[in-house]
Amino acid sequence: MTTPEQSSSSKFLLFLGCAIPYRVSSYEISTRKVLAKLGIELVEMPEYNCCGLPIDPVSHEMLLTLAARNLCLAEQQGLNMVALCPGCAGTLRKVNKKLKENKELKEKINGYLKDTGLEFKGTIEVKHLLQLLAEDVGIEKIKNAVKKPLTNIQVTEHSGCHVSRPIEGVGFDNPENPQILKNLIEATGARYVEYTDKIACCGAPIAGVNDRIPLQLSREKLGHVRDAGAQALITVCPFCHMMFDTNQPRIERMFNESFKIPVLHYPQLLGLAIGFSPEEMDLKGLRVDPTQIVSQVFGKAEGN
Amino acid sequence: MTEEKPRIGVFICHCGLNIAGVIDVKEVAEYAKTLPDVFYTKDNRYTCADPGQDEIRKAIKEHRLNRVVVAACSPRMHEPTFRKTCAEANLNPFFFEMANIREFSSWCHPSTPKEATEKAKEIVKMAVAKARLLRPLKEIEVPVTNKALVIGGGIAGINSALDLAEMGFKVYLLEKTESIGGHMAQLDKTFPTLDCSICIEGPKMVDVGRHPNIEIVSYADLVDVSGFVGNFKVKIRKNPRYIIHEDCTGCGECKEVCPIEYPNEWDMNMGVRKAISVPFEQSVPLVYTINMDHCIECYKCVDACGARQAINFDQKPEEIELEVGTIIVATGFDIYLPYDDPLYGYGKYDNVITALEFERLILAAGPTGGKVIRASDGEKPHSVAFIQCVGSRNLKKYEYCSGFCCMYALKNAILLKEKYKDDVEVYLLYMDMRTPFKGYEEFYRRARNLGITFIRGRASHILEDPETKNLVIRAEDMTLGQPIELPAEMVVLCTAAIPKSDAGDMARILNLSRGTDGFFMESHPKLKPLDTPADGIFLAGACQAPKDIPYSVSQGSGAAARAATILSKPKWKIEPIVAVVDPEKCRNTKVKCGICAERCPYGAIEAPEKQPAKVLTAMCHGCGTCVAECPADAITQNHFTDEQIFAQIEKALEENPEGKILGFLCNWCCYAGADLAGTSRFEYPPLIRPIRVMCSGRVDRDFVLDAFRRGAGMVLVGACHLPYDCHYISGNARMKTRMDALAPMLEKLGLSPQRFRVEYVSAAEGLKFAELMKEMATQMKELGLEKIKAENAKLKPILDRMLAKKEQKAQQ
Repeated sequence: MTTPEQSSSSKFLLFLGCAIPYRVSSYEISTRKVLAKLGIELVEMPEYNCCGLPIDPVSHEMLLTLAARNLCLAEQQGLNMVALCPGCAGTLRKVNKKLKENKELKEKINGYLKDTGLEFKGTIEVKHLLQLLAEDVGIEKIKNAVKKPLTNIQVTEHSGCHVSRPIEGVGFDNPENPQILKNLIEATGARYVEYTDKIACCGAPIAGVNDRIPLQLSREKLGHVRDAGAQALITVCPFCHMMFDTNQPRIERMFNESFKIPVLHYPQLLGLAIGFSPEEMDLKGLRVDPTQIVSQVFGKAEGN
Repeated sequence: MTEEKPRIGVFICHCGLNIAGVIDVKEVAEYAKTLPDVFYTKDNRYTCADPGQDEIRKAIKEHRLNRVVVAACSPRMHEPTFRKTCAEANLNPFFFEMANIREFSSWCHPSTPKEATEKAKEIVKMAVAKARLLRPLKEIEVPVTNKALVIGGGIAGINSALDLAEMGFKVYLLEKTESIGGHMAQLDKTFPTLDCSICIEGPKMVDVGRHPNIEIVSYADLVDVSGFVGNFKVKIRKNPRYIIHEDCTGCGECKEVCPIEYPNEWDMNMGVRKAISVPFEQSVPLVYTINMDHCIECYKCVDACGARQAINFDQKPEEIELEVGTIIVATGFDIYLPYDDPLYGYGKYDNVITALEFERLILAAGPTGGKVIRASDGEKPHSVAFIQCVGSRNLKKYEYCSGFCCMYALKNAILLKEKYKDDVEVYLLYMDMRTPFKGYEEFYRRARNLGITFIRGRASHILEDPETKNLVIRAEDMTLGQPIELPAEMVVLCTAAIPKSDAGDMARILNLSRGTDGFFMESHPKLKPLDTPADGIFLAGACQAPKDIPYSVSQGSGAAARAATILSKPKWKIEPIVAVVDPEKCRNTKVKCGICAERCPYGAIEAPEKQPAKVLTAMCHGCGTCVAECPADAITQNHFTDEQIFAQIEKALEENPEGKILGFLCNWCCYAGADLAGTSRFEYPPLIRPIRVMCSGRVDRDFVLDAFRRGAGMVLVGACHLPYDCHYISGNARMKTRMDALAPMLEKLGLSPQRFRVEYVSAAEGLKFAELMKEMATQMKELGLEKIKAENAKLKPILDRMLAKKEQKAQQ
């Protein structure tokens, strides 16, 4: 259920958002290297601000204004944006669409932006990394870039919620039956396994208000992933990653479980397949030890 | 013909408060009096009621009226009523014209009563202008073939066929599949009596098979239908069974020896049938069929058949042609199979099935001999959950309620519980329990008393345990106000009833409209639920909308009665709104023309060499396409003449033309859609002045030119959707070609493109019409009066020149 945007290009402004540079830097590190190898040029946005999503419950107009400012910066450069965090990507996309379609709203927000000298015109597009990989790079190119197919391992994925919801605003992949990340994983040669209740939320949005519920949700997910026999869980969202990776030891303690499931960002997985080393992909930045799966990747081929 | 001076009577209806609540009816009546040739005006509370009609008849006599205009509801509502009134007063019924000020004014402009009244006055003015130019017409009588075709051998079609046959008419019952019976024959028991379904239907099927007046044409497809009411020609293709119908005794010995099995669709692909077999034992006709996709031609069946020699591998499809007077469409419904819904796991999880599959499981004659077992392990489930409204009542899928699912879920739950008693836990997850008819509420109580657990809440997600293949249903129990996770060993989805997959083809062949829900559209949802806009074609059963067996049976009998009103007459009267060629003006006598003959969608015009073209009146359906296509303006359409339409254009644009949208709306689609906008009370700005034509094909380009010459702000041509919806097959396509050539020319001459619109609005698209009106009004405001006037001034001399040639010819 994709809405491919017509403009397929190779130069994008990189929108990092707030969480990734500070808390999940391995996502950024691996993405930069992998995209460079795939022929995508990432341009820095030194003056970007928060996408606005966290402030939405307090002031929706503040969200619109914050997001609009980022969009204006991109318009000034005449480049499309790629965001690594689905929350940022979804927010920027939704605001972009809303302001393009609603003239009155656009005029109002431009009114707020007047003092900054910026004006929203609606000339660029925003994509999440997943959409960029699927549309602007394409499965074929990814397959061709794979030098070391990861046929030794079987993994599964958690696409998360913001990357495809709401359909009307984000409009990418089918949230009830996500396929894109699965296809991208299979393009690396890795075996993909299904697990029960794949589309359940990781719980991150409630964390901070009530910790037990999201940890319980993540615990159930990790349990299903383990039961399905997956050796790693692949994510494309900093918050999902934090729930499953950073919080995994805490979940194990709280619920008396043992998972030991490494959680990789997709670019890290693809990077290994392309030929980058685990160090280059900053696998040491992961909390749950990925040593075992890494050694399987580089170990002897199965069979024969 | 004596050219009497017109003496027009104008009757303005209050329609209770429907019109009078918005429009100042007295003001309109006063205004009508000022119009030339109007000798009498009256306003009535309910003109269509007896006293109202009496008034008209009296006025005709007392005031020697020779034209009558009624300003009231839509002509699609009451034109026939008032034509009769005139006829009863010895006035030719075609001296009557209707001014639609209800659907087209009071109902759709309630917030602007002043503008609505002004619009009403102008609509009356236009109607009076047309009325002046009306001519008396005589109805054409055609003979009636007193045979009927019933398409579809389900329970509705069966009843139609039996009723008509009992009345003495010959009936052809066309059935696409190998046997009549339809979905009812697939069921185990029927609610609320728990009668065995095939036990009650079987005898009826046999009656049909045996009735001397019914001829079953089975395993055959409808190919083409042509003609008109009383005189349909139907082409049917009989598909080869590879069995000689007359010689097959239905003994089944061939089936015993056949080595090939394939999935039996009748059993919802849970059971098998042989390559030579019948779909079920009680098939009517009881004739076997070979499925050539699976047959290996081992000829064992031929051996078993022996002396009867009923098998013929050389059989070819056979096309037959039938002549019938009426057609009843009873093609039924399909079941939604939710493969596309990833949250319920249908098609992925072994133990999630649809209700029809459940019927085939619990049926004693089904593939498991009546044992309800799970596909994953062949074991009896200890818990079964029924989920209601799968696909139905869902804005993202099918908005409507499928009507019978609550009842059949109760039925299946009751059957399950009564069969396995305490061995099975039965749950039913519902949104509402809809059990309105006779015995239905009692049936619901019976289910509850059996200890079936009813949970009010829509299931959101079904998960499967990969080991046991058991299921977990996530839902909200709305009675408790809590989310629940309900484990069940089997889940039965009660899915939506949907239009048959070939409904589109059927609609195209028969010229039927389909509603927004995809089911066939009736003429009027309240008063004419079985008629279609095509005279002589009727609907019965679930093809019109999902319904249960008693309702289908009733409609079957109802449709038979409707059909009989035609079949029982030796002759049927047809409206004389046909085309007539003026042999003096026809240029086929001088040059090789024949454009009309080529463009007529019905092939109803002959244009032999060197001779004037001639319309075959009985075949003319009255679209008017030939009239607009004729380069010599030699053809007239009775009751929709050029003169009459030009008069309406003139009157519509007499005052403040720049602020008006002149609309040519085709009777069957766009005009009906506009009616629906009014009926649904969708409000829009009162800028349009509508001119009704039977078909958009009638809209001559000269009408458009004349409208702009007179200063119209905007012109709209409203037609049926391409490519298949045109009531006259291709009138809309001809119109499109014509306007596609005209529009760029006008744009080059300086006309802003948004001022000339060609739009496609179906009879079901009331909302679309209202939105279109709003859009055009906004665009007109954006253009601005000054710009429109300037463009008009520039256009006028050019258009004057173009139309002068036509006017010159008309005076000759």
